Amino acid sequence: MKGFSNQFKNLPDYILKITKEIWEDRGLSTLHHYYAPDIPIRFPSGLARGNQGVIDGTLATLAEFPDRQLLGEDVIWSGDAETGFMSSHRLLTTGTHTGQGAFGAPTGKRFTIRAIADCAAINDQINDEWLIRDVGGIARQLGFDPSDYARLQITREGGPENAIRPFHPSHDVQGPYTGRGNDNEWGQRLADILTRIMEKDFSVIRAEYDRAVRTEHWGAEGGWSWDFPETQWMRLRSSFPTAKFEIHHQIGRNDSGTPNRGAVRWSLTGEHSGNGYFGSPTGAEVHVMGITHAEWGEWGLRREFTLIDEVAIWKQIHLHVG
Amino acid sequence: MKGFVEKWRNVPHFINGITHEIWEDRKIGSLRQLYAPGLIVRSPASVVVDNSGVIAATLATLAEFPDRLLLGEDVIWCDDPQGATETSEAFFSSHRLICTATHSHPGAYGAPTGAKLRYRILADCAIRDGAIYDEWLVRDQAAIVRQMGYEPKDWTRAQIEREGGAGACVQPMACANDVPGPYTRRGNTHKWGEIYADTLKRIMAAEMDVIPQTYDRAVNLSYPGGESGFGWNIADQFWMGLRASFPAAEFTLDHVIGREDPLLSPRAAVRWSLNGSHSGWGRFGPPTGAHVYIMGICHAEFGPYGHEGGAAIRREFALIDETAIWKQILLATGDHA
Repeated sequence: MKGFSNQFKNLPDYILKITKEIWEDRGLSTLHHYYAPDIPIRFPSGLARGNQGVIDGTLATLAEFPDRQLLGEDVIWSGDAETGFMSSHRLLTTGTHTGQGAFGAPTGKRFTIRAIADCAAINDQINDEWLIRDVGGIARQLGFDPSDYARLQITREGGPENAIRPFHPSHDVQGPYTGRGNDNEWGQRLADILTRIMEKDFSVIRAEYDRAVRTEHWGAEGGWSWDFPETQWMRLRSSFPTAKFEIHHQIGRNDSGTPNRGAVRWSLTGEHSGNGYFGSPTGAEVHVMGITHAEWGEWGLRREFTLIDEVAIWKQIHLHVG
Repeated sequence: MKGFVEKWRNVPHFINGITHEIWEDRKIGSLRQLYAPGLIVRSPASVVVDNSGVIAATLATLAEFPDRLLLGEDVIWCDDPQGATETSEAFFSSHRLICTATHSHPGAYGAPTGAKLRYRILADCAIRDGAIYDEWLVRDQAAIVRQMGYEPKDWTRAQIEREGGAGACVQPMACANDVPGPYTRRGNTHKWGEIYADTLKRIMAAEMDVIPQTYDRAVNLSYPGGESGFGWNIADQFWMGLRASFPAAEFTLDHVIGREDPLLSPRAAVRWSLNGSHSGWGRFGPPTGAHVYIMGICHAEFGPYGHEGGAAIRREFALIDETAIWKQILLATGDHA
């Protein structure tokens, strides 16, 4: 890998190793090397700039959950060393709430959730990022209702006037990565499935998913077979029935030793005008950042992983309602 | 597939297809053709040598759980050239299923609890001439009874009583009541089967350091009792807790399949047994000295994120029937009353 330290065999190896080095081997200071000084990071909860913020954020999280582990489940990637890679990294993260922090006084409870990080990597460095953590899953496992927790965040951040604004494309910045992924058929298939779902063609699930599909979704909830993903996607879409659906990045891969798979980053932008996941419609303008990973088998789509940040959605709704 | 109805493309298609036809399309009568005469079905709960009651048993299950669905997750299979007949090729299939059902009517599990059940089944079947002719099956009975609101040990005690007490109840599978069937082969010699069999052998030899060496750090684990988890610690705890309860029991690899197929991860299916004394503290409480036979079936999927860029177990599905183990312990200790 030209431009990368020769300790890394390939992009997944790079991503898995630096994640462990930063978090579990406590190499926070290596972020000065591995993260560009002015990197934009788009969390559903807001836009962050620069590696100093990443270091401080990492430290605060480790202070709150010192035993936090990051287990890398998959790296679905595109690009090359010359023009830059995009890595869509799915992780399991676990930790025990033993310190003061974003979730208040320690509850002693443990959480296990997923996160997906889309990182642009070039010359041994991450210089552009989109990151979704299942904050709704953490909140629930620590004993908070996601809606209540979003309200608590607003209060702690100084009320509706001062609270940090969740991410919205209107205040996005252009980072160094301008790619859209690759044109592999499995990325295209996943993009087509998501597009049909968002066009309210819900028959796509029975047509394209394996009957024994396992789906892992936001809120650390999962289920088997068709009815779980159908209900989940219907409730999400019906909350924002007129919102604009966009696909921002899509990757497909056929690698030996793994099933064919896809990674798509997408968004919904528009009005909270329907019943569904987020209570009665409020008319709030909402941006939903989503990343979906999928694996296929002989009988169709066999595993689906989708993350959105429910807390960031609730926060946009509460900030609108006041 | 010589010897099978033409509509079946391959072994997974046949296995998933007949499962669907029998249970969900309600062609229960087709069991007369799909189960060969004299079929022996071994499960941890019993060894059934007279299969004439299978249709009645299927009807009883569907009467108790009318909305039961069987979702076929995987079929890991191998050729069985030695089992071929003049009229048919022969194969061996290890089938992993998710079963969903509502406990809506009275039956073998007692009064309906309304519980929504989700549990796994692993079924090893020898097939030829369009039929299953030898079978080993492990159902996650502990998951079923937990989801109904019982503790497996208490439920098993009540089961013994429902079946007429220690003298009359159905005897769990043991070496003494196992019956050799027509299928005597041991699977194939594919590398992924060998790797997984060797991993289990080393775990059973208390070489627990094999787990960080051969499992992915983020391994997804599905264990008996409907338990699931991630990572080396959970794998370590499950296998440690099992072996610690039966530290001197004899471990045997009974059947091993490995496969690589397009569209799928490299994978393995292993059936094994532990036979010996409940002589240690572990998953089954204080040691009782009861003699216990355990049949286990495991599936594993490998991925590319192992040690030094090598392969590693990325998903493991291990099943034993914990109620059958408790039954043997309760019957041996007299604690069933």
